[in-house]
Amino acid sequence: MPSPRFPIPQGTLDMLILQILSLEPAHGYGIAQRLEQISRSVVQVNQGSLYPALHRLEQKGWLRAEWKQSETGREAKFYSLTRAGRRQLAVEKESWARLSGAVNLIFEEGNG
Amino acid sequence: MIRLFNWFRRRSLERGIDRELQYHFDRRVADLSASGIPEAEARRRVAVELGLARVREEIRDVWLTRWFRDFLYDLRFSARSFLRSPGFTAATLLSLALGIGATTAIYSLVDQVILHALPVRDPERLVLVDWNGDDLITYATGSINLMPYPLCRGLQQQTQLLDGVLCRAEIEVNLTAGGDPRHVAAEIVSGSYFSVLGVGTALGRVIEPEDDAAPAAGPVVVLSYDFWQAQFGGAADIVGRKVLIGNHPMTVVGVAAAGFRGVDVGAVPALWMPTSMYADANLDTGDEDLLTGHTRWLQILARLRPGVSAAQAQAGLQPWFKAWLEDSTRRAGFPRISADHRREYLATTLELTLAPQGHSPLRRSLFQPLWLLFAATGVLLGLACLNVAGLFLARGSARGREIGTRLALGASRGRIGRQLLADSLLLALAGGVLGAAVAPLAIRGLIAFLPQDLAANALSGALSFRLLTFAFFASLAAGLLSGLAPALRTGGDSLVRSTRERAGTGFGGVRLRKCIVTLQVAFALILLIGAVLFLRTLTSLLAKGPGFDTSGLLFFAIAPLENGYSNVDASRLVRRLDEQVRALPLASSSAAARFAFLTGGAWSNKVTMQTDHRTVSDGIINFNAVSPGFFSTLGVRVLAGRDFDQSDSHPPGEIGPRSAIVNQAFVKRYLAGRDPLGVLIARGGSSDVKPNCRIVGVVSDMSYRGLRDNSEQVFFPLFEHDDTGATFYIRVRGAPEQAIPSIRRLVRQDDPRLPILWFRTLDDQVNRSLYTERMLAALSGSFGALALLLSLIGLYGVMSFVVTRRTREIGIRLALGATRVSALRLVLRDAVTMIAAGVALALPCIAALGKLIQSQLFGVTATDPATLAGAAVVLAAGALAAAFIPAWRVSNVSPTDALRLE
Repeated sequence: MPSPRFPIPQGTLDMLILQILSLEPAHGYGIAQRLEQISRSVVQVNQGSLYPALHRLEQKGWLRAEWKQSETGREAKFYSLTRAGRRQLAVEKESWARLSGAVNLIFEEGNG
Repeated sequence: MIRLFNWFRRRSLERGIDRELQYHFDRRVADLSASGIPEAEARRRVAVELGLARVREEIRDVWLTRWFRDFLYDLRFSARSFLRSPGFTAATLLSLALGIGATTAIYSLVDQVILHALPVRDPERLVLVDWNGDDLITYATGSINLMPYPLCRGLQQQTQLLDGVLCRAEIEVNLTAGGDPRHVAAEIVSGSYFSVLGVGTALGRVIEPEDDAAPAAGPVVVLSYDFWQAQFGGAADIVGRKVLIGNHPMTVVGVAAAGFRGVDVGAVPALWMPTSMYADANLDTGDEDLLTGHTRWLQILARLRPGVSAAQAQAGLQPWFKAWLEDSTRRAGFPRISADHRREYLATTLELTLAPQGHSPLRRSLFQPLWLLFAATGVLLGLACLNVAGLFLARGSARGREIGTRLALGASRGRIGRQLLADSLLLALAGGVLGAAVAPLAIRGLIAFLPQDLAANALSGALSFRLLTFAFFASLAAGLLSGLAPALRTGGDSLVRSTRERAGTGFGGVRLRKCIVTLQVAFALILLIGAVLFLRTLTSLLAKGPGFDTSGLLFFAIAPLENGYSNVDASRLVRRLDEQVRALPLASSSAAARFAFLTGGAWSNKVTMQTDHRTVSDGIINFNAVSPGFFSTLGVRVLAGRDFDQSDSHPPGEIGPRSAIVNQAFVKRYLAGRDPLGVLIARGGSSDVKPNCRIVGVVSDMSYRGLRDNSEQVFFPLFEHDDTGATFYIRVRGAPEQAIPSIRRLVRQDDPRLPILWFRTLDDQVNRSLYTERMLAALSGSFGALALLLSLIGLYGVMSFVVTRRTREIGIRLALGATRVSALRLVLRDAVTMIAAGVALALPCIAALGKLIQSQLFGVTATDPATLAGAAVVLAAGALAAAFIPAWRVSNVSPTDALRLE
């Protein structure tokens, strides 16, 4: 592979954010770091697009935000999942599974 | 709206975004520095990576414009789809524009006549002071909140509760300013009037307390702005000019602020003058000094102190008022009354009612009719909304596939519901704009129904900000109302079903549409019955007539006292004019009466009768004084006895029997079963009245105040040297209008400065006296017709829809041998159910509403069975016809065609 990192597919960033926040509340910088770690530097997240996504999810009512003291002692805006967000995550996971399953099926058919 | 809301939150939003991003920035820089990159380089790199300015912009977008932008898209989409179906758009737009325009027009009058506060300082602190205790001692009733002047003066001392007290009376004066004398409306006011109201001037000064300090202290007038503009062309040197009020010179000291038209909506005073000049305004009765006596001739308005409520002020004034009452019983001329009466009198209280709109007889007479019409337009608007909702549902079924597809592609139901709401809001707002555009025309049309002298100057047809606000909210409500049902439908329908359904069948909503049509039928029936009731009221009043023949009859009046005549001179003038008019070749007969008929006013009191015992009438009897030949001139029949002749007129003080004529209603009520001729009667009900007028005749009933009035009446002879004014009735040969100039010339020859009041035909006067009835009949008639039309369209629409859905079914039935008639019956059964349900819904409502409108009716009750049945039959017949057309079409379909539809 010439390029080890490819840009994150359209629409999956929201799902990844929800997934990360389903483990524990985090602030924007924490989410960015977690994204880097979890995807083992395979997926490249444009740091700039993270914040609009967070606010969009907050506006939809899937995230709740509150100002709390962070590990460095400074106040940071922590995001956590709402009940609706949890439901949304389940929906997205399911449709993702179905989509990738279908895509796999097609690939296997092609191979067989 | 959401955008506006966010605008307020914008600063805290921005601060939050900045803090959040700053935190990220600092942490990232710190991490990079820790990994060995120099801080300056790290900062540069992070700035590029984040793209701060763009991120900030994007976040802002998320919060600020998302909703708004979506809504704009919705509106644009709606507008495009409306342009694609112009027929639908025109139908809905027209329904809504009609409803909103009519409601706005009526609201304009409601607002101007009933709701609008006076253009004065803090109108909500104004109270009207009323007191009914005087009725106990004088037996006078029907006063329009009239009070004696000293009470106003006394109240002015009560400064701990009241922030000023004014009194005023509506008068008419003859004003001469250079040219011909003009009869104008005016207000005679206390010196506190302008300062209590907080009204200033455009020029000069207002009337001040000094002008009102002592009788004849202030020979000054303040002109109204409108009158100054119209009559003096806004002359800048008006202050200081001399004018004549009657024959009395007065000085113009100022012009009131523009827009101020006194405290009475409907009467537009040309000028204000101080109460001290009451003698110059011909209010002098000769009996009593109006400024110190107890004649009730003014209305009192007071301004509450801040923080004092009307109830508190009323309670707080009581101790003082009790002392005032005690005092008044000791004054000279206080009638002798029994101890019980006296106790009752002393227990009376002042009544303070909030009067931010001032005091207005026009409001009183229009209050009920206007609210009624407003309610009717509300129903009409509701009906229009239902119609649009029905049309939307029909369109919704045509768009079922489109909406189903959008749902399948992932649009949320909320999103599509919002789209449908945007549809109806856009339509309603467009309808509102159209409605507001035609409203001024409609308002002017409405004002034309009102008596011109009352309404023309006081009411305007212009669109005000209040009115536009009203139209906007009415449109918004209409939009929500008509869009709600279709929007909710999308929420309830299953996706699978709507995509599976085929073209031509559409998605559901039949039951909802049937409910809508049922409601429409009910609404339409209510309006239709109202229309019939008011039309019958008008026709029965016209059919009843005033009790005399109005054709070829003219009348005019003079008020010589207002021009400075003495009582004796005035009386001579009346007699002279009566003779001269009678001598005119074009007059076939003529006569005079002291008071005019059908103009709303009357002279009235109780009557004492002496038969074998003495009795006092239990009600108020209306009086008039008439010349010999009056009854034959008007064509009122003399049923018993005789008409007056010259020998009946006796000057006051002359000893001897006097004469009176009573009407049939009087005989029926008070002298039933006995010969009325020869009975002695007199005006007044107190114990010192001596019945000295012998009844010499009985005449048939005629209307006095207005056409509805069939009161008991007593007539006395004219020309008893106390005739201070008169109304002349002339029956002319040929066209009445042509006689007017020569009669006018006659009066001019006698006194060129004497204004002639009301020169009209009696036919004209009858019409004028019926203005509320005419307005109610015309408007409720057109509302009823519109309502009928709207509901028929609604019914037709839903029946066509039902029939389309059932074409296949009916085709199969026909193929299997069903007859046309049975197919027709099958379809019409639906329509009949809806109509019957609508009628059943409307009837109890009418029974309930009937009580509210009964006072406006004449010759018919609100629940008149014939009216109810007639209106219901008309509606049902129309509705059945509307339903019959689609039913007929489907029953004629050939089975093969119906099956091929699939």
